[in-house]
Amino acid sequence: MLKNRVTNLLLANEKRSLYRFLILYIVMMIGIISLISIYYYQYQKQLMMLNKRVILSDYASEQARKIKSLHFLFPEQNIYPRDSRFVSAIYDLEYQKIFSLLKSNEINFDRELYITKDKKIHFIKSFDDYYLGAKYLILEIDDDELWLHNTWQNIIIYGGFAIFIFSIIGFFLLNLFLSPMKTSLNIMDRFIKDTTHELNTPLSAILTNIEMMDLDAINEDNRKKINRINIAAKTVSVLYNDLTYITLENDIYKSNEKINLKNIIEERVEYFDILARSKEISFTLDLNDSFLVVNKNKFTRVIDNLISNAIKYNKRKGHINIKLFENSFTVEDLGIGIEPDKIRYIFDRYSRFNSSEGGFGIGLSIVKNIIDEYGMQIVVKSKINEGTSITITW
Amino acid sequence: MVRYIFIFMIFFSSSLSSDIYSQKCVGCHRDMPYSLQEIFMKYLLAYGGENNVKAGMLHYFIYPSKDISVMPKGFLDEKGIMDHGYIGKENLQRSIDRYWELYKVKGRLK
Ligand code: HEC
Repeated sequence: MLKNRVTNLLLANEKRSLYRFLILYIVMMIGIISLISIYYYQYQKQLMMLNKRVILSDYASEQARKIKSLHFLFPEQNIYPRDSRFVSAIYDLEYQKIFSLLKSNEINFDRELYITKDKKIHFIKSFDDYYLGAKYLILEIDDDELWLHNTWQNIIIYGGFAIFIFSIIGFFLLNLFLSPMKTSLNIMDRFIKDTTHELNTPLSAILTNIEMMDLDAINEDNRKKINRINIAAKTVSVLYNDLTYITLENDIYKSNEKINLKNIIEERVEYFDILARSKEISFTLDLNDSFLVVNKNKFTRVIDNLISNAIKYNKRKGHINIKLFENSFTVEDLGIGIEPDKIRYIFDRYSRFNSSEGGFGIGLSIVKNIIDEYGMQIVVKSKINEGTSITITW
Repeated sequence: MVRYIFIFMIFFSSSLSSDIYSQKCVGCHRDMPYSLQEIFMKYLLAYGGENNVKAGMLHYFIYPSKDISVMPKGFLDEKGIMDHGYIGKENLQRSIDRYWELYKVKGRLK
């Protein structure tokens, strides 16, 4: 496996569809499990009620016999029959209470068996002969909720197990979906990494030799050609630096120091000057002192990419404004602009503003990466054919 | 003057009718093999609720018939049915209310 920082970063829109899949999967998983749980709960409740019904209807027949015999002894005997296993009540057919020992008065005459809000189980038996004037005999027992306890326990145990299994399946599915994406990213990364490695020596040879060249000693025509070579080499150099940043673990991107951005920006504008001049682009700099504790090389990648994009996507004889304040840094070009619906994708790796310009489309993804790492904010404003402004604040 | 007599009559008749139960019903029923208590329990068994019992009883008093009587068939064959209607519907109604109050089960169980 290649060891580098970005291999595992997916493109933002792919991430979005992945999140959607994940959310759908989780919602479905929870839905299915809760549906099963509800059915299970209801089944258990019915089972419990069925058991209670058998027991209670036995009790009820017994109690009915006692009430019947009391009917013929009344009023010489007027003690309502009691039982330690349940309490009961009798109501007449007009739902008037005749006698009651119930603790819960929430009686539902339409149902035979139900649980009241204060957790009592009621069983109602109705008579055809109204002994003691009673049409309804109501038995009440406590709902011990043992079944409920057991049911919940099972739901939690089996539900948890199901979630676990589903999660594993989900994880495998996810990997299945991701593996083609990962493979293609890996191939791209590996290719870039290998290429980058081979570029280092020839590129530095070209740049240093141009630097060392005595321009006065050559004629005007050749000087122009040398300048063009210089521009081309610098363009390649920016790309090279970006590529090394993303593909190679490099020590130069590790240590932080306090830097004055103003100096770096001036230096980078100077560096890109020859590129800008080739398109007759002018700079307006409004630079104030601004100190940051960051890695100089990393932050240079941010500045380089913003400036080189502003040049690349500018028009001939265009203009670039660079503003630096204590807490913000803005690069503004009067170039071709970005279509509104594409702005959200510009930080994706391998995406380009516009296919007419070359490049890997990795520049802004690096910018975003570094900005995020330092916890800064980046805002892109763009109007098609009017220009783009990118502001970083901290 | 007429007004006073009228008021007096109403007063008199009402005090009379409130006691019509003890006067008429109890007296005639005293010597019967089935006590008023037993008859009441038979009604309760057959009709259930208060309104049902009262309505059933009143109906029987006005339209007595062997088919709807709660009394045992042998008893009726021997004694015949009794037309209570001569007491007057108003008085019957009052007596029934009194009868119910005296023998109802509700509130008498412990
Ligand atoms: C003249 C005697 C007499 C008087 C007065 C009388 N009863 Fe009866 N009653 C009977 C006899 C006889 C029966 C049994 C025959 C029958 O049931 O029709 C009877 C039957 C009944 C029955 C049972 C009806 C049934 O379903 O068979 C009720 C209830 C009853 N009496 C209530 C009353 C009440 C209340 C009064 C007072 C308004 C009253 N009786 C006054 C003689 C009397």
